[in-house]
Amino acid sequence: MEILKAENLVKVYQDNGVPVNALRGINLSVSKGEYIVIAGPSGSGKTTLLNLLGALDKPTEGKIYFEGEDITLKEKKELSKMRLHKLGFIFQAYNLIPVLTAIENIEFSMMLLGIPDNVRKEKALALMDELGIKELADKRPNEMSGGQQQRVAVARAIVNNPTLVLADEPTANLDSVTAGHLLDLMEQMNTEKNITFIFSSHDKNVIDRAKRLIILKDGTIEKK
Amino acid sequence: MLLKLAWRNIWRNKRRSIITLAAVIFATLMAIAMRGIQLGTYALNIKSVVELFSGYLQIQEKRYRDNPSLTYSFVVDKNIKEALNSTKGVLGYAPRVYADGLISYKDNSRGAAIFGIEPEKENGVTTFIKNINAGKFFTSDSSNQIVVGDQLLKNLDAKIGDDIVILAQGFDGTLGNQKYKIVGTVKFGVQELEASLIFMGLKSAQSLLDMGSRVNVIAIKADNLNDLPEIDKSLSAKIKNPDLKVLSWTKVNPELEQSIQLDNVSGIFFLGILIVIVAFGILNTVLMSVIERFREFGVVLAIGMPQINLTYLVYLETIIITLIGLSAGNILGAGVNYYFILHPIVFGGELKQLYEIYHFLPQLKSTLEPGIFVNVSLSILIIALVSCFYPAYKVYKLEPLKGIRHT
Ligand SMILES: Nc1ncnc2c1ncn2[C@@H]1O[C@H](COP(=O)(O)OP(=O)(O)OP(=O)(O)O)[C@@H](O)[C@H]1O
Ligand SMILES: [Mg+2]
Repeated sequence: MEILKAENLVKVYQDNGVPVNALRGINLSVSKGEYIVIAGPSGSGKTTLLNLLGALDKPTEGKIYFEGEDITLKEKKELSKMRLHKLGFIFQAYNLIPVLTAIENIEFSMMLLGIPDNVRKEKALALMDELGIKELADKRPNEMSGGQQQRVAVARAIVNNPTLVLADEPTANLDSVTAGHLLDLMEQMNTEKNITFIFSSHDKNVIDRAKRLIILKDGTIEKK
Repeated sequence: MLLKLAWRNIWRNKRRSIITLAAVIFATLMAIAMRGIQLGTYALNIKSVVELFSGYLQIQEKRYRDNPSLTYSFVVDKNIKEALNSTKGVLGYAPRVYADGLISYKDNSRGAAIFGIEPEKENGVTTFIKNINAGKFFTSDSSNQIVVGDQLLKNLDAKIGDDIVILAQGFDGTLGNQKYKIVGTVKFGVQELEASLIFMGLKSAQSLLDMGSRVNVIAIKADNLNDLPEIDKSLSAKIKNPDLKVLSWTKVNPELEQSIQLDNVSGIFFLGILIVIVAFGILNTVLMSVIERFREFGVVLAIGMPQINLTYLVYLETIIITLIGLSAGNILGAGVNYYFILHPIVFGGELKQLYEIYHFLPQLKSTLEPGIFVNVSLSILIIALVSCFYPAYKVYKLEPLKGIRHT
């Protein structure tokens, strides 16, 4: 089942009046349950593409259909709501709210959906247990290692059962062993729960484990 | 959850929050203490002045204030007495007659301001009887005895015990004259006044002026300044004679009120400056705390937190700090004001002399008047919310990506 489709995506940034062509015509179709890695050299447009697919930015040209709906036409508020209900995000770093504990960070996304207190706590604990991070529940971000923080971020991203999880270089700040654990986790969620993942990386270990690999170069998808 | 977030965010940067808190506490305390001393001293001086002679309120014929003529006099009838006796907050009242006249002793004559009073009743209303300087005050039933201003005695070249003659135009327009004995002198520290002042018994004055049992003024003592509007209303409703009017001290003594209002404006101006300083302090710290968190805000916006909730968060943080600061400031302010009620600042020297001329007590006293606390707290809370507007607006306009990229 196709959940996401991008047609002829073009993104031109204005860098002090100089146009920068970050994406030059991307066509992409993503089906439910896929596990996609976007690779490519620095400046090739990975972040730009993920931002467009995650409805955080709008393309200069082209269309993005999410579950059949054209999201390039939607308003800011609608997009915010869509991100809350349908998408999960994992950023490279600083994912978590510093003043909240791990479990509170996970509950935070549920709180935004209006899920009642006791249900939130139970669900968050169950998920942490499943991901093997239960002992982190009461720790604040600054009491956790980078790898632990990223695992909590994964939990927060998937707790609302999103259609799609987007992650921009989630392993970039981690050593290869920790990065491996994080990948195990995401792969586990992908196979067990059929959650769709798209993430970017230029780490060879990560790229090797991709179920589908998309290589970007100069704003276009490189054909193999 | 939002509340929990706000609370924890406040303690995240303890130093900054404590500085903001200290600023709010300081401003609240200063404002309350300043206003306390100012309003407390006003009340003290108003009391001192109205209790000296004019009374808190007066009942007059309605034309008398603008045209103080004997014609505009009235009889203190049963209705008026009942009205006065049955009104809550009225502690006492004293009827008076006032007229201009001429006083002569041997070859000396002087213009005189004649007050017919009942000393026993005045004792429950005013304090001027205590300003007796030499001799003694007459009693209400003693006739043909007078007390004169110290300077008037000197000007007449007379002594206590001497007989003098007073000439005055009576109620019906005819001239009357009568002989009186000087039994004492009064001194208020205002020579001009003391050069013409004559007190005599109410009945003596009524007979000299041929006005029967009519009076010009009833001076009233009230239990406190704040209740005057209510007492005024209640008395006015009870008094049936449509020609009579209840006037508060502000109408009887408008100069006193004006000078206080003038001084009050400078106090409020100073308060305004204090509050503007606090406003900039809050604006600055809130803006800093918000900009520092742009990245974190960007992340929560990306995961779908409604923009408006983030704005609430910023407001909530400011409100919490301000409310804590206001509570502490109010408690400390109440303490300081209470201290200055128990221990007024008393001063001496030239300032004391200047004050005494105006019959102000040479003291600075405070007050625990609730209005001060409410007004100061509301002003500071409102100014805090206004200062918060710009940072909150910046958050409202923040794009998730701009926040995430913010370094
Ligand atoms: N906000 C922006 N304004 C102007 N130019 C930008 C902006 N964001 C990205 N670019 C430019 O667009 C191009 C694509 O950038 P992008 O960040 O998508 O690359 P990337 O593949 O994610 O690189 P990296 O591996 O370094 O993260 C680059 O040339 C970059 O300089
Ligand atoms: Mg990038």
